[in-house]
Amino acid sequence: MKTEPLLRVDSISKRFGGNQAVDHVSFEVPQGIILGLIGPNGSGKTTVLNMLSGELFPDEGSTYLEGRSITRLSPSQLAHLGVIRMFQMTRVFIRLSAFDNLLISGRALGLSAAEAETRAQSLVKELTLEQVQFLDAGQLSGGQKKLLEFGMCFMCPPKIALLDEPFAAVHPVMRETMAEFIRTRNQNGQTFLLVSHDMPIVKSLCHESICMNTGRIISQGSTRLVLEDPNVIEAYLGGDHV
Amino acid sequence: MGLFYALMAVGLSMIFGILRIVNFAHGEFFMVGAYAYALTAMKLGINPWFALLLAAAGGAFLGVTIEKLLMRPLYQGYQSWSIVKDEYAVVVTFALSLFLIHFVDKVIGPSPFMGPSLVSTQRIAIGPIMLNGQKIIAAGISISLLCGLALFIKKSLWGRQIQAVAQNRFGSSLAGIDPVRTTSIIFAISGMLAALSGALLAPLMNPAPDIGSFPAIKSFIIVVLGGMGSIWGSMIAALLLGVSESFFAVYVSYDYRDAFGLFVLIAVLILRPQGLAGQKGRQS
Amino acid sequence: MSQMENLWSRKLSRDLKCLFILCALMCLVPLFDLSPYTLGILIIGFYFALIALAWNLLAGFTGQFSMAPAAFAMIGGYITALLSYHLSVSLWIGIPAAVFGSALLGFLLGATVLRLKGPYLSLTTLAFAEIARVFIGNSHEFTRGDQGLNLPTLMESRIAYYYFFLLLVVLVGWLIFLLMRSKYGGYLLAIRDDAEAAESRGIPVVRFKLLAFTISSAICGFAGCMYGTFSQLVSPEMGLIQQTGLIISMVVIGGIGSLTGPVLGALLVYLSSEWLRDVGNIQLIVFAMLVIIFARFFRTGLWGICLSLYARLKPVKNN
Repeated sequence: MKTEPLLRVDSISKRFGGNQAVDHVSFEVPQGIILGLIGPNGSGKTTVLNMLSGELFPDEGSTYLEGRSITRLSPSQLAHLGVIRMFQMTRVFIRLSAFDNLLISGRALGLSAAEAETRAQSLVKELTLEQVQFLDAGQLSGGQKKLLEFGMCFMCPPKIALLDEPFAAVHPVMRETMAEFIRTRNQNGQTFLLVSHDMPIVKSLCHESICMNTGRIISQGSTRLVLEDPNVIEAYLGGDHV
Repeated sequence: MGLFYALMAVGLSMIFGILRIVNFAHGEFFMVGAYAYALTAMKLGINPWFALLLAAAGGAFLGVTIEKLLMRPLYQGYQSWSIVKDEYAVVVTFALSLFLIHFVDKVIGPSPFMGPSLVSTQRIAIGPIMLNGQKIIAAGISISLLCGLALFIKKSLWGRQIQAVAQNRFGSSLAGIDPVRTTSIIFAISGMLAALSGALLAPLMNPAPDIGSFPAIKSFIIVVLGGMGSIWGSMIAALLLGVSESFFAVYVSYDYRDAFGLFVLIAVLILRPQGLAGQKGRQS
Repeated sequence: MSQMENLWSRKLSRDLKCLFILCALMCLVPLFDLSPYTLGILIIGFYFALIALAWNLLAGFTGQFSMAPAAFAMIGGYITALLSYHLSVSLWIGIPAAVFGSALLGFLLGATVLRLKGPYLSLTTLAFAEIARVFIGNSHEFTRGDQGLNLPTLMESRIAYYYFFLLLVVLVGWLIFLLMRSKYGGYLLAIRDDAEAAESRGIPVVRFKLLAFTISSAICGFAGCMYGTFSQLVSPEMGLIQQTGLIISMVVIGGIGSLTGPVLGALLVYLSSEWLRDVGNIQLIVFAMLVIIFARFFRTGLWGICLSLYARLKPVKNN
């Protein structure tokens, strides 16, 4: 008897004008894993992520969180249900202090003022942002902003965290900090869906992976096997990029 | 009337398509064109056709100047597409609009002159519609301009650069297109079209510094109706609005014909926010 | 840590204190034996301060740029005036009606346009404002058109009105403070900085934009009807786009995104405007130019300049 997976995606598709960006994609995300979503540029990974986080609605198909349909919910509704998304280009509230950024994220999801304050303080320590916590978020370095966004996403630990290329254009040291953060949280049961180009990171972090190309899934399963799959190698090296 | 709306709206649409900002001072291009035409033709005694060209050039010049002075900070440096740019554009172009209106008012004064017609006005009756020579000529010029613009965008090098920048600013800069210069061109064209629109209509109205306001509002409505960023949409929407407004004015109520535009706007926003031809810009 | 001063709740508190100080100073002004004319100018300055606070709530705190504040003030004034003129309704009903009516109209307008991304709000409010003004101006049988409508007054003494309006400014400023200090205020600021990110963090963006818009419209309507009872006349001129331009100038020059800035800006700009009018009617030219300069170089306005001067002159504290 299979337990209900945390996230179930059932044959979603999306078309933009003449371009079928996502073509009947289905997969499941069990509780507690780190799932990698890889594929060459234009393969549809970000579009899938956008459909999971409420920025877009699929033309066909549905998505389920713990068995409950979440296909046409808005990003804020999804956030309240425990689906949190990190953006590829870091988005923080630049005219508010870093600490305020955390506070607001926490209170938006229902924390009381006191709880939000306590959690923000501990997150600041965990993310080594003490020196800059009271500066306007816009004044932080790129890496610090990314860490801050991490913090904001985890003020209320979500059921599933959708990360869109979190390691893109990030300093190697920062990359390690973030990877460590993900690993630690995952050991406590946090589920992640990670879109990334960075193969070494995907290999080291993701238990399972899904590879997409031209809108379809071409391989899925344990990360090691997927990365050795000839279809995947072909897709990256030569095949039919969009 | 739809044609003149079209001239104005197209320029506005282009600016929005490229920069995602609205140029609130757009009405003032219209006004400047009208004034330039009327003044040069009357005070300096220049041939009306030539004055038209001057007005067009003036509009283009104004457009470029505004772009250089005020708009550059918005997008210089491709990373700095910060969120604050929208607010800045609104406030600044709005302030610019007020500034121009009152400046002209102060400097030139609300003179009661009218610009000369391009041809001697004769009233020609076609069916139930009264036309006059000026309007016909103006309409003809508008049509040819619009067609010329459409061709320009599709075929010419500059035109295709404009399309490229509209679709992907950063990417096109990688391809070697200079987005700043392209933007200048767009502002120039926008200004020129609006100014011509003003100049063509100048003989039919009394120039006052704020004559640009209503055409600006109409062109905003048209741009929304047609879909922001779509030039064809704006053209079609302009014609639609012009024609239906006239019907409304005649058959329902003359005084409230401007309110009609507002109803159209609100209806469009409720029912089909992306307009006739625009891309999806709604919040999901 | 002195850096903690940068927290939004602290900044707001400081802001409110400064606003109270400013208003306390304004309390002393009538002691200088001013002419009724000058008092009247200051009172109108307070009227604008109210609208400036409202527009700042929408634009400075929530990032929504409406071109209709003057129009809502006009509408508020007209609701009270029309009720009084046609139905002889007393002010005790007329004033709440104005507030409620403006709020409702604001809600309806906002609901149409705030769910959309892009500059639709500015465009629609501009169109709305102009057309509302023309509509009121042209409806002669109903509104007496350009002649305007008369209203009864709340009190006879001008000095009483002065303190009354000053009190209103303090109250409205304080109410906005309470809102902004709460978590809802944080949501508005987040929406201002990045509406999409705010949505992803769980903030129902459209709902809060609508809240800000409705409150802002209500305050404008309230200000309008208060003005109406003072000047005992409302006219379509209240809703001219130039008035909105003036209001925007007041907020941008005074300091957008604060409580004291709009009030300071309103008083300074209006006083200057009266003076400039005597000089040669160039107010809007000057203000528009100032707005462009401030928007380009001095984002935080006069108030921001004062704050940074103060910060620089204050000796550094070591905790």
